[in-house]
Amino acid sequence: MLSRVADSIYWMARYMERAENLARLLLSTQDLLLDAGAEAADESQFWGPLLMTTGDEEVYFAAHPEAEGATVADFLALSPKNPNCILNCVRTARENARTIRDQISDEMWECINSLRLFLESPEAAAMHRYQSAAFYEKVLIASYQFQGIASSTTPRDEIWYFLRLGMCIERADKTSRLIDTCSAISLDMPPSPLARPLRWAALLRSCSAWHAFQAYSSNKLDPVKIIEYLLLDETFPRSVAWCVEALHNTLTALCGSGRLDDMKSPIRACGRLRADIAYITMPDVLKEGLHEYIDRLQEKLNDIGQTIYETFVRYSDATPADSEIAAATPVLAAHGAFHTLAGADMQIQQQQQ
Amino acid sequence: MSSLFDDYQPGSFFDEMFSAAHEPRGHYESIMDSIGTLTPSEYAARQRTADAVFLRQGVTFTVYGDDQGTERIFPFDLMPRIIPHKEWERVEAGLIQRITALNLFLNDVYHGQQILADKVVPADLVLSASHYRPEFKGIKVPHGIYIHICGTDLVRDDKGEYFVLEDNGRCPSGASYMLENRNAMKRTFPGLLQSLPVRPVDAYGSMLRETLAHLAPPGVIDPNIVVLTPGVFNSAYFEHCYLAKQMGVPIVEGRDLILKNGRVFMRTTNGLQQVHVIYRRIDDDFLDPLVFRKDSLLGVPGLVSAYQQGHVALANSIGTGVADDKAVYALVPKMIKYYLDQDPILPNVPTYLGVDPKECGYILDNLPNLVVKAVNESGGYGMLMGPHSTKEEQDEFAKRIAANPRNYIAQPVLQLSRHPVFQGDHFEGRHIDLRPYVLYGDRVRVVPGGLTRVALKKGSLVVNSSQGGGSKDTWVLWDDE
Repeated sequence: MLSRVADSIYWMARYMERAENLARLLLSTQDLLLDAGAEAADESQFWGPLLMTTGDEEVYFAAHPEAEGATVADFLALSPKNPNCILNCVRTARENARTIRDQISDEMWECINSLRLFLESPEAAAMHRYQSAAFYEKVLIASYQFQGIASSTTPRDEIWYFLRLGMCIERADKTSRLIDTCSAISLDMPPSPLARPLRWAALLRSCSAWHAFQAYSSNKLDPVKIIEYLLLDETFPRSVAWCVEALHNTLTALCGSGRLDDMKSPIRACGRLRADIAYITMPDVLKEGLHEYIDRLQEKLNDIGQTIYETFVRYSDATPADSEIAAATPVLAAHGAFHTLAGADMQIQQQQQ
Repeated sequence: MSSLFDDYQPGSFFDEMFSAAHEPRGHYESIMDSIGTLTPSEYAARQRTADAVFLRQGVTFTVYGDDQGTERIFPFDLMPRIIPHKEWERVEAGLIQRITALNLFLNDVYHGQQILADKVVPADLVLSASHYRPEFKGIKVPHGIYIHICGTDLVRDDKGEYFVLEDNGRCPSGASYMLENRNAMKRTFPGLLQSLPVRPVDAYGSMLRETLAHLAPPGVIDPNIVVLTPGVFNSAYFEHCYLAKQMGVPIVEGRDLILKNGRVFMRTTNGLQQVHVIYRRIDDDFLDPLVFRKDSLLGVPGLVSAYQQGHVALANSIGTGVADDKAVYALVPKMIKYYLDQDPILPNVPTYLGVDPKECGYILDNLPNLVVKAVNESGGYGMLMGPHSTKEEQDEFAKRIAANPRNYIAQPVLQLSRHPVFQGDHFEGRHIDLRPYVLYGDRVRVVPGGLTRVALKKGSLVVNSSQGGGSKDTWVLWDDE
């Protein structure tokens, strides 16, 4: 498969996953506020962390003084000023899909294109204003549909693997950020006055993990258990551990595990992270500090993303002759279709939240 | 019983569907019986459904000059154009004759130039064509074929006679719309397609692939074929992708390809992989910055040299534009006579050459009654429609023609045939043409039908999509019973 195509497939999957996570996060925050009662008097303590998760605080506060519900929701859903809002994520996913529509099934393309047409329509803006829950659900369902179609129409070859890579890495990144929004909250349980059971419940919901967690833990809503579940449990398909394992398996399927001395760098990077997550315990995590641990985790995920790009798109892993070509070819930097990750700038831009 | 066509006026033109008001031609009768019975709102609803499908599928072209890169669907009129079997047989024979002569001509021009030596066509006219590539003289191309994919434009005059308007032998576009139009018809009027013996067009992808595979360098059994596109921002990107998908081959941009030891490779996730045949949708000028335009970012440095050495094949070949020149077009009937010793089955539109002093005088004296065309333009640009032009425009063209007569030709204004087209709530006649697709590989293959283009603006004779044109599905019948 062409390197450029692999890159587009990867980013298409990432941006779809990103849009889905954003929709779910907005939905669960809204639900949380409905339950919060008097606690919700200060809205900004609920909406502020959302901006932190998506990494858009700077852009947002440049234009708005306060993290007010309707404004934040609009900023994250449809604001043209926010490059990472749901609408723009879907547009980017769709633009990547368009460049490679010969590679993916017509059904996948139509699903993604229909979602974009909907989000750009006046109906979408009105729906977001008056029935926001329905709006978010529509985005979620479209993303599930996309994944379902992808899973049932994509041959299990490179296309599938790059789709998986994009999805897994984005999901691991998002889940870790969601956990991080709670890293400043007390781990106490009720009846401690510091306990925030609603926030922990919302965290589970924003990862679609509420029911799964109920079945998993007899110790209802113990914050440490919740973090452990979302971070280290290998069975739940949105946990960081699950994503990293899936990522590692996909990379192995893509290029074989190799011997230690000629192992591809993404496999090495991902394998180390997988081992770390597999053998670390919650007391270890808390000893390092939840926020610090997650910071380190995200750095490693970024590294993996970078090595994937270097290996499959830029060839810096390749034989001397080929890497000469990689170095000598300015082609990737030329006349960029905007999905191109040629310049380092662009690379950062696409990874940034 | 009332019909959607009750008020339709064929007018003084040759109407494809009606021989006179209320009198449909035989091959349109069954469609008249079915579509005619719909109410205007029923018909409009089907049209809307078809439009929505095009939009969802992204069967669009890009309108430039908007930061979001607005995409429009190519307007599609549901009412199909029908061509009877007998009529098509003649058109097909004419197309095959023409592409055969054009390829013999190109092979001659780029080798012995016998036709010039025999003074059958004027050498200075041919060799001054701006798309003539002297650097390709003497270069062997696979099987001596230059034009593999040709999109000849045909029109019919007020008597229904077919004429060749242009030979598009460089990068003719539109085949994807032909295929998608048929799909749209299958969804909107399935019963109708079943009731008529319509010849399918969906083999185009495999025909194109076979044509391209034929060009592979000797000894390559299973060649790697690619479609080379200028990129996602090109207005025809949809088509490039679509054709690649139909053929099951990768679509590449210039930056995906790289030269090594005189061979072309594409950069894949598994390293470099050799490419044998390139269906290029980039003009000669941009193909290789080492040979043609230095500032081209779309091309591949070294590609031309690899082609000359025979390590990779290009379709179409380089320099086919010399046969596409509108002044050289006027000479095609002579080529047919010279190479094939036949009379042209499909006549040319009478053409006056600016380069001939006598004819140039005639052009300048008759500007209001002629269509003047610059010899290298396409897409409806660089044209003067005499009867619809102002005095200022005519003066402007007169100056340009006087300054560079070689660059202009003129033709009488043909009253192109018309076809009913749905306009809001009723049918009106609009001018149409036909672009069939001719493939020249191990043999010549013609897709039955092609793309019928419609000048949607009332009275307009310009059908190009860039100038407000639309299209129709084209049905060639298996038999005329």
